Amino acid sequence: MSDAATRTTDRGTWLLVARRDFWVRLRERSFLISTLLNMVVISILVLARAYGGAGQGPSFDLGYVGPPPVADGAVALGQHAGVTVHVHELPDEMAAAQALRDGSVDAVVFGDRIVARSSLDPTLGGLIEASSRQVRIDALLDRHGVTAQERADANAGLPVQTIEAPPPPHRSENAEVAFVAVILLYGQLFGYGIWVATGVIEEKASRVVELLLSAIRPKQLLAGKIVGIGILGLGQLIVVATFAIVLALVTGALDVPLSAVGAAALVIGWFILGFAFYASLFAAAGALASRPEELQNVIVPINLIILVSFFISIGALQNPDGRLVTIASLLPMSAPLAMPVRIVLGAAPWWQVLLSLAVIVGSTVVLVPAAARLYIGAILRSGGRVRIRDAWRAAA
Amino acid sequence: MLQLIDLRRRFGDVVALDGLSFEVPEGRIVGFVGRNGSGKTTTMRITLGVLQADGGEVRWRGAPVDAAVRRRFGYMPEERGLYPKMRLREQLVYLARLRGTPKDVARDRASELLQVLEVIGDPQARMESLSLGNQQRVQLAASLVHAPELLVLDEPFSGLDPVGVDVLAGVLSREARERGVAVVFSSHQLDLVERLCDAVVLVDHGRVVTSGTIEELRAMRARNLWRVEVAGAGAEWWSAVPGVRLDEHRDGEVILELDDAADPQRVLDLARAEGDVRAFGPIEPTLAQLFREVVAG
Repeated sequence: MSDAATRTTDRGTWLLVARRDFWVRLRERSFLISTLLNMVVISILVLARAYGGAGQGPSFDLGYVGPPPVADGAVALGQHAGVTVHVHELPDEMAAAQALRDGSVDAVVFGDRIVARSSLDPTLGGLIEASSRQVRIDALLDRHGVTAQERADANAGLPVQTIEAPPPPHRSENAEVAFVAVILLYGQLFGYGIWVATGVIEEKASRVVELLLSAIRPKQLLAGKIVGIGILGLGQLIVVATFAIVLALVTGALDVPLSAVGAAALVIGWFILGFAFYASLFAAAGALASRPEELQNVIVPINLIILVSFFISIGALQNPDGRLVTIASLLPMSAPLAMPVRIVLGAAPWWQVLLSLAVIVGSTVVLVPAAARLYIGAILRSGGRVRIRDAWRAAA
Repeated sequence: MLQLIDLRRRFGDVVALDGLSFEVPEGRIVGFVGRNGSGKTTTMRITLGVLQADGGEVRWRGAPVDAAVRRRFGYMPEERGLYPKMRLREQLVYLARLRGTPKDVARDRASELLQVLEVIGDPQARMESLSLGNQQRVQLAASLVHAPELLVLDEPFSGLDPVGVDVLAGVLSREARERGVAVVFSSHQLDLVERLCDAVVLVDHGRVVTSGTIEELRAMRARNLWRVEVAGAGAEWWSAVPGVRLDEHRDGEVILELDDAADPQRVLDLARAEGDVRAFGPIEPTLAQLFREVVAG
């Protein structure tokens, strides 16, 4: 018989539990839907950046009739100012009027005047103005016999000096990366936490848990469930983050792809920390319920904490140095959302990052056994909600 | 052999187990009977480690039971339940592997059990799609799939149709006789217990009131009853024998209770002197009668 083949130690049993929870949920439709939803949201954000014009300076089409120097000068000046100006030579006034009407040019330079559609953009107007002044001054200087050398000296730009300083924080690109990061982290922590709670309630409500606990220890069941669901969440995050980076690179949405990779690593790291902190709480909450309908009630406190952390972190996008945000980034329950935002925005000094890490790791180490105790005390009690105090005592 | 030694457990002010002890030898089927709330389920849960005892000890093959030993136990809880959305065979294989059975062995056994237990349904079907009776058979398969050395079944026959009862009875007998499994199950169907079990443990208020084989229980019973039917006998003809008194008068026959001093043969002689003896013999009480007697007394 198979008795001889039966292994006698129960080490690694949690791995079987983890594997089941991973595969069962991977095959669920809600997993597929949430993955696709994440990708769609990311795509919208990335594409909006790539084609919304936020990443580059403005660009204009400028037509000219007659000699080109004024238009060409506008192009050169535009380059200095970060404005792209494309020039189009037009044969005559008729063609110019036509080009203005169909929108292929924003303005047309005639030798001595500018024609624009309805109103002239001040940026473009300023460029043409400056270019035209330069052309007239050059002509004047020519007439007065000023040499090319003298003119070049007079036109030489001011020397530029630089000082050593960290890059300016709060750049708009970083803010958008931070926004995506906090949305992803919130969705992932909350969504997968709920899955842990649901998984626990399912086992309790179907009563299979009594059979399971006659075979394995509660800690193994709990650890397996958290690890299995956590790895699924991590995998989804990696897939979505990779997708976002590739999309950003392909569309040129981000100037510095390295910052996106760094942000992705940050999100993944803080997901692991945050999930480790929250998952056992979700499991304990699930164990306190006895029917799936009670899920919403038992997770209300955790739900609120995550939601408040989320809103503080969204606020941090505007003001990453604020006192509330700083405190939130150091508390274990809000750090997984607030700290990554501050790091991406360059607002967190290294010592605060280290402190935050120490606090969340330390409190997880304290919290997990306590949550596990509640779980163990409540998991076999059926018939209505279990009170926290009873669960705590039952597991003594 | 499973040994439960002086198990104690309280729930608040309620004493569920009050020094309960009994044994289940390997290869034997032991029936565990008692009224509702007498402590049967608590005993089984403690045996499986699902519940902690306040005091006492559970031993298997002479050694204290720990998590590793319990992996070789099979259990059917009173409150049935498996994963509703998991497929039958996948579920059985998973449960067997949790208890350390290798994957391929578990798969073979799962398929075999689904056949033996005559579970109607595709092994790929989901649990929730089965009828209740079929779910119960799968539940039994779940307790057997890892080839346990000890089977602990809480009310395994409740909810089964007569065919299901026969199938389950057959499986339990085979597990005990052929594989040498120690089997203990609780039941309120005392005729089944009587038919199936080598020994019976009768529990009340968290203690074992009496235990032994059915024959031993009968021998131990307090009352010694005899049924006598004599045609044309006079009233109170038995009063000549000391230690005999009337228990019950039915039409044409009497049930007599004899104390230790009374000799049944003397009663028979007397009866023959009275008239035609149509029936004479000891009353073999059913387990149900014994049960009522012990619990009431």
